Amino acid sequence: MSEPVTASRVRSTLSLHKLGVFCGLTAAVWLGTAEAPTKLVNAGFSPFLISMGMVMGAFVARWTVPTLLKGTGFIFSDLREKPHLIVWALLAGMLWAVANTLTIFGVRNVGLSIAFPLWNINSLVGLFWGWLLFKELRGSGIKEWSKVLGGAFAIVGGAAVLALATASQSATPGKALLGIVAALGAGVLLGTMYIPYRKAYISGMNPLSFVTIFTFGELGTVTILAAIFHGGAGNLVSELHRARPMLFWPFLGGFCWVIGDLFQNFAAKYIGIGRGIPLSNTNQLWGLAWGALVFAEFSGLSTSSKVLILTGSLVMIAGALSISMANPGASELVSWKQARERECERYGLDAEKVSAVVAGDDPLADHPPVRRWWEAVVMIVAVGIFVWLGIGTVSQHLTLNMPWMIVLVIGTILPFGLCGTLLWRRTRFS
Amino acid sequence: MKKSWLISILTDVHLWVPVGVLILGIILLMSLR
Repeated sequence: MSEPVTASRVRSTLSLHKLGVFCGLTAAVWLGTAEAPTKLVNAGFSPFLISMGMVMGAFVARWTVPTLLKGTGFIFSDLREKPHLIVWALLAGMLWAVANTLTIFGVRNVGLSIAFPLWNINSLVGLFWGWLLFKELRGSGIKEWSKVLGGAFAIVGGAAVLALATASQSATPGKALLGIVAALGAGVLLGTMYIPYRKAYISGMNPLSFVTIFTFGELGTVTILAAIFHGGAGNLVSELHRARPMLFWPFLGGFCWVIGDLFQNFAAKYIGIGRGIPLSNTNQLWGLAWGALVFAEFSGLSTSSKVLILTGSLVMIAGALSISMANPGASELVSWKQARERECERYGLDAEKVSAVVAGDDPLADHPPVRRWWEAVVMIVAVGIFVWLGIGTVSQHLTLNMPWMIVLVIGTILPFGLCGTLLWRRTRFS
Repeated sequence: MKKSWLISILTDVHLWVPVGVLILGIILLMSLR
């Protein structure tokens, strides 16, 4: 994106397109890492319970990370300016909660290796909604279309090849069709969830404010669903108590998911959902790396399967590279501006300010956040919950390859530090 | 919230597309029980 930089002189001049690409790829790393705890579904726990654990972890993280980065004053001020977006943030959280539960059904019935690429069609769904509702890719030439659409299909195609190569390792006979339907349904829901994302960001909302509200929609929905599926709130509490020794892991997964989701939100803000979501969907490569290297899921694979995995991974990487190089041209940026103006007119927003925020130059971002005492309480409670769960955790009898785990943990933290720094220098997390 | 804002929200296609998909998703989830 080549919109002018107008705010602080001390900020980085990195293009927003490049920044969005980095955010999308960092999101992929963290979203892929977050899937590892869903393996606990096979340890005899209800999918709803795993989902509930992830959402509770996400709830804790979604309050603490924005509070740590911007302070509650900034978040509330942002929400007061665009109160209508609270509806969409809640709606997105509800969509995520239902989709996440469907993914767990998918994993249980057909295995992670098949379910994962199926729900990753969400990038194509998101690309369609981005084009239809937010004028993404409108006005762009055949070259840009080819890069984005070709890249998105390459990522889905690569995912399908990876599924083909690894399917025999994890497929469960019997309920396969239901698992496939659940995973595809999750893909449609997740792809549609990006409508609220994009709407919020072309209206100038900060991703940190959005996820703070989002979390109420997801926790409320999952709690209701889990209570229904467990025959009442009392049963749910008993089940949670029974699952106490393993709750730390889905909590941790939820935490990683929030980090990935935040970067995904920044990607959706700066390069749109048509480009940002396919990039973050390369998370399957990271999910595969965890499965193959740490959990030794594919140790018995034949040479032909290994060739397929390599091919699928390379196709996926080529797709990501293609999208990375699809910088929106001037005519597409005009379409983006029209979509933004529609929101400003409809909801009475300050068009000039929204334009600045969308360009990463939020006028408020350079002011240091005013800290309040309850923010320290939020941080202490959040850390306390993780420590409490960690202390009571019982081993789930999974065989882990420790050296590879260390390598992947470092490979997860490094892009976090790098991309976080780039975001701060360029936009001050605006 | 102002009445005009409420009308803007309720007549916004950006609202009803996700709401429709959410309802379908909940129906699917319930049928998978």
